[in-house]
Amino acid sequence: MVAKEQIKDVLVKLLKVRPEELKDDVSLQDSIGVDSTEMVESVIALEKAFGTKFNPKEITKFSTINEIDAVIQSKLVK
Amino acid sequence: MDKIAITGIGVVTPSGIGKRQFWANIKSGRSFVKEITRFDASLYPSHIAGQIDDLDKYSTISERLLKKIDAFSHMALIASELALQDAGIDIKKEDPNLVGIFLGNAIGGWLYAETELRDMYMEGREGVSPYMASAWFPAAPQGQVSIYYGIKGFSKTVVSDRASSLMALGYARKVLAKNKLNMILAGGMEAPVTPYALLCCNTYGALSLDNAHPQEAYRPFDKKRNGFVIGEGAAIVVLEGLDRVKSRSAKSLAYIIGFGTTCDGVDRINPANDGIELGRAIRMALDEAKISPDKIDYISLDGLAVDIWDNSEIDAIRSVFGARLKDIPVSCPKSMFGNLLGASGVVDMVIAIHAMEHSLVPPTINLESPAVDGLLYVGKETREHKINKALIISRGRGGINSVLVVEKA
Repeated sequence: MVAKEQIKDVLVKLLKVRPEELKDDVSLQDSIGVDSTEMVESVIALEKAFGTKFNPKEITKFSTINEIDAVIQSKLVK
Repeated sequence: MDKIAITGIGVVTPSGIGKRQFWANIKSGRSFVKEITRFDASLYPSHIAGQIDDLDKYSTISERLLKKIDAFSHMALIASELALQDAGIDIKKEDPNLVGIFLGNAIGGWLYAETELRDMYMEGREGVSPYMASAWFPAAPQGQVSIYYGIKGFSKTVVSDRASSLMALGYARKVLAKNKLNMILAGGMEAPVTPYALLCCNTYGALSLDNAHPQEAYRPFDKKRNGFVIGEGAAIVVLEGLDRVKSRSAKSLAYIIGFGTTCDGVDRINPANDGIELGRAIRMALDEAKISPDKIDYISLDGLAVDIWDNSEIDAIRSVFGARLKDIPVSCPKSMFGNLLGASGVVDMVIAIHAMEHSLVPPTINLESPAVDGLLYVGKETREHKINKALIISRGRGGINSVLVVEKA
């Protein structure tokens, strides 16, 4: 099980937002107004942090912390 | 064409951030040119500049945004905020479709670009920030300021070398005069104090090499001139039509009443050596202002401190003003803080507005012995003089000529 806190930690450091701004079940767009370029940057940072690669289909599911967590979990289980 | 009012001023320069500090330093004739400290520039032929060291002190921009933008966008954001505050405008209350932004820039945001290109060669394509694409190019500040304030009206970035910001003001004036917008943020920004940009400026071959005497290096129109000194910064003003200024009971700081622009079309780098086309641009601006040359009380010179540029500039004003030139004060205040390239023209306009308000002609420091006589140069000391209308000249490589006429409010 990937710690959601670890995902949040990556995003907080990268996007320079406050930890409390990130909610598990709210989309990053609604919570911190993430833009498309920030999303690209976040994907690259998460790939580095978790030592994996996401395909475009997986990236489209990156909306909330819960969803990102689910994608990462499924990759790590494989 | 109607007069257009300038109702707010935002300046970010080596001589000061904010118009009060800036004007205090300009009128006192202090030089802010010094050895470059941002990086080791000691091996560059010219390694002096007007550098801004305390930008962060004046910034309210979040870290999240700062990492996405180059210094020239940061300067434009600060200058825009200062201009809006000065004009007393709460932009959230404006119709965003009727607000425009017209900025000028010559070289783009190289500090960001250089760093990312280095990373590309060191780390491969994944080492490059995804913001690179939107951070470096000359229209980036226009985009960032538009996003920051939600500006959605007709807007434009002008790239015309050192004439860029004066050209942007000229365009903005035309758009406002057609009543298509309520207000425009107009001006320019430049951040050339970076390793690669400084290299390009050095390659141009027109920079002063007097590194041993930074404050005396930039000497426009002086016998001992030896090229110009670069500087970084931004100046952005709020432009509005007179009806709107009246309806919101605002105060006009000055009016733009005429603009002219021509091209020499003779060389890739140098201007024509006769000043004929610059003279035509001056007449164009005066015609648009519906005034004769004898109504001009001050001329702000481009002053590159290079023989062909300075001499052709004098030929041009002589062709228009004739014998009266000996009675019109002329000066080149950028000798104090460096040539802000694409932002130089709007900074000169801001200085001229203060000069009109305070009846003081700003100095041309280092102008001790003019190379060409017969003009009323204002040298080292500020000179008291009533100014009702001023002419501002800004020129770019390849012979781009732009001229603006401003009137006291």
